[in-house]
Amino acid sequence: MSDRKLPRLLQTPAVLLLLVWMLIPLGMTLYFSFIRYVLNSLRRPEWTTPSFSNWRGFGNYEFVLNSKDFLFAIQNSLFIVCSILFLTVILGVLIAVLINKTFPGQGIVRVLLISPFFVMPAVNAVLWINMILDPVLGLQGIAVGGINELIDGLKDAPLVGWFFGMWPELQPISFRATQTSAYAVIIMVTWQWTPFAVLIFMTSLQSEDQQQKEAAVLDGANTWSQFRFLTLPHLARPIAIVVMIQAIFHLSLYAEIEIVSRGNGNKNLPYLIGEFANNNIGAASATGIFAVILANIVAIFLLRMIGKTLME
Amino acid sequence: MAIVAKTSRFGKYGRPTLAWVVGLLFFFPIFWMVLTSFKTDADAVKPEHLIFFKPTFDNYINMTENYDYWRFAKNSVITAVMATVFTLFVGIPCAYAMAFNPSRATKDVLMWMLSTKMLPAAAVLYPMTFITKTAGLFDTHFLIILVLSLINMPIVIWMLFTYFKEIPKDIIEAGQMDGANTWGEIKEILIPLAWGGIASTALLCFIFCWNEAYWTVRLTTTDAATLSKLIEGNRAPEGLFFGRLSAVSAAAVGPIVVLGWFCQKQLVQGLTFGAVK
Repeated sequence: MSDRKLPRLLQTPAVLLLLVWMLIPLGMTLYFSFIRYVLNSLRRPEWTTPSFSNWRGFGNYEFVLNSKDFLFAIQNSLFIVCSILFLTVILGVLIAVLINKTFPGQGIVRVLLISPFFVMPAVNAVLWINMILDPVLGLQGIAVGGINELIDGLKDAPLVGWFFGMWPELQPISFRATQTSAYAVIIMVTWQWTPFAVLIFMTSLQSEDQQQKEAAVLDGANTWSQFRFLTLPHLARPIAIVVMIQAIFHLSLYAEIEIVSRGNGNKNLPYLIGEFANNNIGAASATGIFAVILANIVAIFLLRMIGKTLME
Repeated sequence: MAIVAKTSRFGKYGRPTLAWVVGLLFFFPIFWMVLTSFKTDADAVKPEHLIFFKPTFDNYINMTENYDYWRFAKNSVITAVMATVFTLFVGIPCAYAMAFNPSRATKDVLMWMLSTKMLPAAAVLYPMTFITKTAGLFDTHFLIILVLSLINMPIVIWMLFTYFKEIPKDIIEAGQMDGANTWGEIKEILIPLAWGGIASTALLCFIFCWNEAYWTVRLTTTDAATLSKLIEGNRAPEGLFFGRLSAVSAAAVGPIVVLGWFCQKQLVQGLTFGAVK
């Protein structure tokens, strides 16, 4: 066998598998998005089987574009992903700089820090929404209750009583509610992925040029300008990688959204598709195509941004 | 280093303290879950038993009775192990060819592979359910193993590629001179040389398989249902059964968290795609 053919042959199984995995479902989604296709319909039973005779053209797309949740879902998808990216990068840089120097127990702190990254998303969501954020039975509820009681007690105290008397009663936040469920998702995913950012930034910080830093110190550079002009530029590449990998994972968030509020007030595009798919497969497929387009826009943007650095 | 090391009081006391506080804060939710798992369901929601309570192992002892834990755990182990093995079996030759005989298309193929990970799973859920039900594969180990492999294959090939790239080409070529065939090359030269990289790739793949929570939940009912399905299906509403829920959650994530502790360094190196040194 010639030198040229063999490498191609070795790649074939992987490429073929991924091609099938991508094209068959995508083709079917595309097809369903152009026909009327519902799971249950008493009035129009012929719509319950996929067939070209139920052709609807761009009707499903129009229907999706006009549905009130669509724009909201796109906005919310981007809001959630961008917030998580923003928080994990900022926290990641700060914590990585903090624990980069040796101190007693550094190894243990690293182990403690990385742990959330290995927790499965379903457990993450169940744990946070029930045991921590629940407004009555979770730690949040208990803490707010405790503070209120404490203040209540202090109101009768001599001298300072009048001061605490002016304090309002604290209200716990219900993170399952319409306005707040997105924040709950952002909190729990940030908790899970900040460790990942920290470890990548730390790996990178260890290769930072120490001589350059010493020179900067001799020149009288303060801590801030060292960080701003030496450390931050050094971290540009790892930040790009953290952003890319996280964008890949978070655009398809689902378990957390499902568990927190069943999409109540907090739908992203995948969740909206899931809701349509309870009955209207045509609309779900059309939404799916929109999601593919959105993912591609993000992908092109990201790969342009860092594709080159990855291949060096 | 001498100059940098002459630090302020913050460097000596403040930094370690702050670092420990941050570390403990991040670990706290996991600690809390484990602590709650030793409380009875009734104690778990009482503020007076927040920290002081009579520890009980009942939640763990009754896990089989309450949740049929072992059946789900068995499925998780089978599917995650088999999927990892299969992914490596397909991924190693592919990454090998890409690293040592790159063509002009290699970069694009790699990018395309990564881009398949961005396809929203929900968009193809219905066709997938439809196909797998028609083919009689729904809720089988085979299907879950295949799906988990395909989801993780892009990342695995990327990671392997970055590890293999680091191996000097001369070594592989020397093997070719000695007349080793391709399989021999992979088995005798590549795998021993890149063993560390392959092992950490396998671990990461295993972790992602174990934690996967979209397809494993939606393409199974009972026979092939994994721990993700167990947790998602049994999330109790509004504070019922905190104790037992914590126990089963801790049992679901425990093995992976411990595994992760042991190999955190290798994992990170692989995940940076070789772009961070």
